[in-house]
Amino acid sequence: MASDADLIGRSLDGDVDAFVEVVGRHEVAVGSYLARRAGRDAAEDLLGEVWVAAFESRRSYDRSYDDARPWLYGVALNRLRRYWRSRPAEDLVADVADLAAGWDPWSAVDLGVDARAVLRSALMRLKPEEREVLRLVAWEDLTAADAARALGMPAGTARRLLSQARTALRDAPGVSALLKDRNSAKERHR
Amino acid sequence: MTDELDLVGELGSAEPLRPEAYQRARSVLRAAMADPGTVRLLGAISAEDTTMETTSTMETTTTRDHESGPAIRRRRGIGVAGRLGIGAGVGVAAAAAIVAVVLNSSATGGAVAGKDSPAAVGPAAVESAAVEGSADRAPLLTLAGSITTLTPTSGDAWLVKATQAHGTKTMQVVYTLYTDGHAIYTGDSVTDIKRAITRHQDQMKAGGYAPLLKAAVAAADSSSADGRTRMLKAAKDPLIGLDPAAQKAKWDKQQAAAAAIVKQKGGTYQPKPYNPQAVQRHFDNALWTYSTEALSAGDGNTQVRAGVLRLLSTISAVSVKDSTTDGKATLTITAGSEVFGGEGGEVLTVDATTGMLVKDVSTVPGLPEAHTTYESSRVTAADL
Repeated sequence: MASDADLIGRSLDGDVDAFVEVVGRHEVAVGSYLARRAGRDAAEDLLGEVWVAAFESRRSYDRSYDDARPWLYGVALNRLRRYWRSRPAEDLVADVADLAAGWDPWSAVDLGVDARAVLRSALMRLKPEEREVLRLVAWEDLTAADAARALGMPAGTARRLLSQARTALRDAPGVSALLKDRNSAKERHR
Repeated sequence: MTDELDLVGELGSAEPLRPEAYQRARSVLRAAMADPGTVRLLGAISAEDTTMETTSTMETTTTRDHESGPAIRRRRGIGVAGRLGIGAGVGVAAAAAIVAVVLNSSATGGAVAGKDSPAAVGPAAVESAAVEGSADRAPLLTLAGSITTLTPTSGDAWLVKATQAHGTKTMQVVYTLYTDGHAIYTGDSVTDIKRAITRHQDQMKAGGYAPLLKAAVAAADSSSADGRTRMLKAAKDPLIGLDPAAQKAKWDKQQAAAAAIVKQKGGTYQPKPYNPQAVQRHFDNALWTYSTEALSAGDGNTQVRAGVLRLLSTISAVSVKDSTTDGKATLTITAGSEVFGGEGGEVLTVDATTGMLVKDVSTVPGLPEAHTTYESSRVTAADL
């Protein structure tokens, strides 16, 4: 199977369908990413813009990377930033935890309302760049190096930010207790 | 052992996008590939209205392989030369184009109860199963023959204004000049056309539709079977020219890929079995789509019109009847739902004397009707 890099190369050579194939491979992941960050309705509106932006900037793609997904997340994040800038503050979802609770009852059941509040508070205390790396790793299953690609930063920087974020989370009020509860509950069920 | 990443991960649930959203996003992308102007156009209309290239059912195949076996294609836009122009040097010059997008056959199975001959096996039989139009479609062959003998009474070119609308929303207006010397220049204004002439942007030679146009021209003077094969090859159909075993392998692979995609998006899909009738329907669908694309891109070229009329006459699910449009004699050419996997249809109206397009109406259940009206006039290119 051709790699994303190969397909992007073919697209640059005029193969119209090659880029659509790249899109087909990653549309669910990128759509979910947008939905997590902006809600489903906005995500559905933004997805086409992401593909167009990616198509228009494909010449800048570093074809030494076979997998285009981190790059596409980066393109998507740029569109999200533009979207956020264009919206009145009151229209924006205040926090990702609200998004999750808005549709997925199991998420709320698992975590509990209090736990979500604890995590939300802890996440909001992170530096923005720490949160971005953490989200890409925790939600999109990227490695720190891939998150670095998405965010246009050195891999070492992303690893450092991730480490800082994890440490800060563990040390955040309530989170360590939450983890202890979770893990002891699992122990009891063994 | 749960760690802090697991906890954060649990916050990351999100409501999945609806299947039509993926389709719509790809439509926007394809439009952008054809012409950046289309993106602006799409951006100007509401999200609700941009559901134009969706079906009411779950997706059954990826759009990335538009030649795939089970995909049902529909054309809901003006076929503007340049749609495939990325890399061919014409994309920017082409007028805005809402591109044809691969539509999906029904997840519950788009099979049409068989009117097909069960005996057709092998590429030759499959590719020619519908050749030589029946008496019902004889008017198409008659018109194809007569228009090649017509001599225009004035000017040296056709100027065609095509106005496309979805429901009540006008989507785009495209002007195309077809010279009697077989050149095609297109743009979103007459000024654009003059610019294209100056730059020698002849869509017949260099545009993205050139392969389809050339196949249509060839079909005007070849047997129906040869004409079909050439058009399908020009469209890079993946099944054309393959023996049944190779066709089946390609078919099964595409079905499996479709099932995987649908599953990934939370749907269920029953793969359709390979058989000659299904392949015949696939060929008829592709032939209708690409022939009518060639017609809308090459409407003013007599040979293109003649070739396309001959090609359409080979599709068994096509019917033809005499009609009158605004007081002029016309032919109404209807592609029934069998051509589109059992849903919707497309109706072309052409001038009964010249064969020039008058109207094109495409229906897809659940979507606004897509219709394009064509206004044709004879002009002198130098006077534009």
